[in-house]
Amino acid sequence: MTTKTRKRYAGLLAGAALLALAPTASAVELNVIMEEVPDYDIVARLTERFEAANPDIQITFDAMPYDAMRDKILTSFLAPEATYDIIIVDNPWMDEFARAGYLASLDELVKGTDGYDYEDFVAPLRAIGEVDGKIYGVPYYNYALGLIVRQDVFDAKGIAVPTTLEDYVATIKSLTEGDFYGAAMQPQQGYKIFEEWKNWLYAMGGDLMDENGNVVIDSPEAVKALEMYIDAYNNAAPPGSLNWGFDEALRAVASGKAATMMSYNWMLPTLNNPEGPAGELAGKFQLYEVPGGKAVLGAWHWAIPANAEDREAAWKFVSWITSKEVDKERVILGGAPIRTSVMTDPEVWEKGYGERYYKTVLAILEDAEPLATGNNAEELIDIVGTELNAAVAGKKSPKQALADAARRVKAALE
Amino acid sequence: MAVEAEANGMAIPASRWGLRYRLLLPLTLTLGAVLLYPLLFSFWVSLHRYQLTRLQDVRFAGLRNYLKLFEDPAFWNAILNTLTFVFGAVTLELVLGFALALLLHRLPRFRHLARAMLLTPMFVTPIAVGLMFRFLLNQQLGVLPWLLEGLGIRIDWFGPGMALFSIILIDVWQWTPFMLLLLLAGLESLPKAPFEAARIDGASAWMTFTRVTLPLMKPVLLVAIVIRGLDAFKVFEYIYAITRGGPGGSTETILFYIYKVGFRFFRMGEAAAMAYVLVAVTLALVTLLYLLMTREGRRRS
Amino acid sequence: MTVPLLRRRLYLALQTGVVGLALLTVLFPFFWIFLTSLKPPDLVARPDVWTFLPSAANWREVFLESDVPRYIANSLLVGVVTVAIALLVGFPAAYSFSRYGTGGGLARFAVLAAEMVPPAVLIVPLFLVMYRLALTNTLVAVIAAHLTFVVPVVTWFLIGFVDEVPRELEEQAMVDGYTRGQAILRVVLPAVRPGIAAAGIFGFVLSWNDMFYALILTGGASKTLPVAIAGYWTFRGIEMGKMAVAILLAVVPVLVASFFVQKHLVKGLGGGAVKM
Repeated sequence: MTTKTRKRYAGLLAGAALLALAPTASAVELNVIMEEVPDYDIVARLTERFEAANPDIQITFDAMPYDAMRDKILTSFLAPEATYDIIIVDNPWMDEFARAGYLASLDELVKGTDGYDYEDFVAPLRAIGEVDGKIYGVPYYNYALGLIVRQDVFDAKGIAVPTTLEDYVATIKSLTEGDFYGAAMQPQQGYKIFEEWKNWLYAMGGDLMDENGNVVIDSPEAVKALEMYIDAYNNAAPPGSLNWGFDEALRAVASGKAATMMSYNWMLPTLNNPEGPAGELAGKFQLYEVPGGKAVLGAWHWAIPANAEDREAAWKFVSWITSKEVDKERVILGGAPIRTSVMTDPEVWEKGYGERYYKTVLAILEDAEPLATGNNAEELIDIVGTELNAAVAGKKSPKQALADAARRVKAALE
Repeated sequence: MAVEAEANGMAIPASRWGLRYRLLLPLTLTLGAVLLYPLLFSFWVSLHRYQLTRLQDVRFAGLRNYLKLFEDPAFWNAILNTLTFVFGAVTLELVLGFALALLLHRLPRFRHLARAMLLTPMFVTPIAVGLMFRFLLNQQLGVLPWLLEGLGIRIDWFGPGMALFSIILIDVWQWTPFMLLLLLAGLESLPKAPFEAARIDGASAWMTFTRVTLPLMKPVLLVAIVIRGLDAFKVFEYIYAITRGGPGGSTETILFYIYKVGFRFFRMGEAAAMAYVLVAVTLALVTLLYLLMTREGRRRS
Repeated sequence: MTVPLLRRRLYLALQTGVVGLALLTVLFPFFWIFLTSLKPPDLVARPDVWTFLPSAANWREVFLESDVPRYIANSLLVGVVTVAIALLVGFPAAYSFSRYGTGGGLARFAVLAAEMVPPAVLIVPLFLVMYRLALTNTLVAVIAAHLTFVVPVVTWFLIGFVDEVPRELEEQAMVDGYTRGQAILRVVLPAVRPGIAAAGIFGFVLSWNDMFYALILTGGASKTLPVAIAGYWTFRGIEMGKMAVAILLAVVPVLVASFFVQKHLVKGLGGGAVKM
């Protein structure tokens, strides 16, 4: 882990840690809340250059685990003086925060920034940051889902990577043999199974809600998608993996126990890194669009709280870190891409992970929909994710589980 | 009991009568500040529609938050899971801890070393214990299933029907040491005379245990159950780290559920009401145990 | 004495066997975690690999390049301050409960009952208060939160311990011309020192292990170790190797400390328990 707090406090006495640490410089100080992930490390590295170029602005990052962030951000909103001048917002929180009036609208700032090229962000990513026709966030990085496969396994058997869900289920079942499984799945209750299964739902042509906002999670398409998911879990996934989340699925694929997984597109470079979890298998993995094409899109956005003191300064940093030039560097260093121009840049292909990878990511991003939207997105994810998991565990029939999910989602939306 | 102090008439000058309360003052102030105020505040919140994303719209709701709970099957499922967990974990810990304490009590060699090593699990933060076992018990990637496979045993640790029990076992791993410590202390402080008498009467080991050790240990056992039980009600980290309440809600415990409603969905009013129902449930259980204890105490004196 | 030699041998074998098994159960996870901390990343998820070329990368990174040492210092500081406050307010109260019988048995029970308040009830108001006082993200906030469960437990144990001190000692001291205050300080306090050690250690363990409060009340440089350990569980997977190092680093100091005071620990807990 790299240093999480970039400011160093020389000669810090143990007792001094009790006190809130006060800034010393007279420059504008911007506090930025971040999540502890590799993308943060890259941003932190690049930011040193921003500070050198803007001596009047000082950036202080407060990096923390995901689960600590939501309430931290919320208290900052409620304070008369914001704790954080810049925040990052996860996809399910966007509507909730924006509609509560906690975020500053960025339209004027975006318009007033020369050469920013807002349209260059892939459209579905932009859509997440726009709530009721106004811009409240600009993309930080994406976590869209793709299909990661062991290309060597497919090549050896001479089978093509499936593009429809029916094919996919048939293929992973046929690949399952002895201690080798067709797919490492993530049926853990709550967020994980929801995130994975929603790709299956899309593939069958279903959705959570229709255009008019009616809950349609109990549609025949959804039931079919869940039945197929359960079939796949029972016949193509490692037994005893009902509590698996991202970590286990990754390790199973990395250690050669499974042929495919639906996971974040940027896991491909990690798996193909010889120093990484896959070891000797590195280089044998390939990324595809999820079966059916339409993928679940997750994304983090930069946003400025409505109560932030110096919006101009905050935007100066946000627009700098998301600008075409800096974003290109960020992606070359391994950050997850957000801009079309960056993903189609030969220099990025060469210094990064190759043309095919970025083109696939771009294709995934262009045909993707947000994980969940609306004021109650978090709760919605939890409700549906609990019912789905109950069905996979065999505690309820798929039909019953989805009917219960629909009923509870409707109640939560009231 | 200490109440006798007054009757014994330890020369306490009249001017010093206030001392007993003055001595209590720091405790009262500290607990008042950190405990009482939050409790009252929470109670107030539980009577309101209090949503963190809608603070401009906090409305008095009377008992609606409480009444809503009675129609919430997920809440009662969580209460039931928690009770199962507490009962299972505490019983196992008590039996194992007592057995180990009895054996360790009379271990001729390496007693101190063995005791020190047996205590280690309770010094690991529960979140780390949770993540550790998530990894150790993983069917494909973990070492314990791998070892068991060698013996021909295959268990779906976190599958339906087994998950809550696995969580209980993890708690047993971490907290049996605490039971052991407490019961060992109890054993060591027992008077010697009754055991001498039993030996002279030629009582068998089993009879000595059931007729002498067990009755003498009863107060310690009750206390051990209360302390461990209260702590077990707070189980959160293992669930958070391993199952997130799954499969199908079978490991969702009350604190995890409250955390979700309060901190993920921001519905603080409902979360506070749940917490108060939880307090009522624990209070009832502890009062029951307390009555048992005092009756026992009275019978003894 | 009349037990035949054979039976005694059998008992000894059983005893050694069971204790040995318990030790194995307790220590094996630590052993495996240690092994994991030395594994290169591609072997972490391989239960069948027990021998390999060890790599010190995880240890180096956690020790030298991370802020884990600072978080350990934070946790130590929180634990020590919390326990110190708990002892300062707990001891006089324990004396009052024990010697004067203030509040009777019910008061003793109330002290214990304070321990059972679920953190979920307290966290929201504590959080809001700390935020109004601008104390979130400081260790003060965590200390305040930890006091809610450390103070009751420590006080409760101390009551039992003061009960154990013979009254005659105090009476004798007062006959010799000590005031009550002096008697408390010079006679009772030294006599309960083992109990203070025991209560202190136990309170420290509770504080040291807490993640629930710390996760919500701290951040950045004020993180405690459990929060930092939870931080190895990221969006991109669990960094098992580094987490293993942090776990082992977290266990060692408490283990060493507890080894030295465990004799008192046993006595202290027993004192409180037996005299309930």
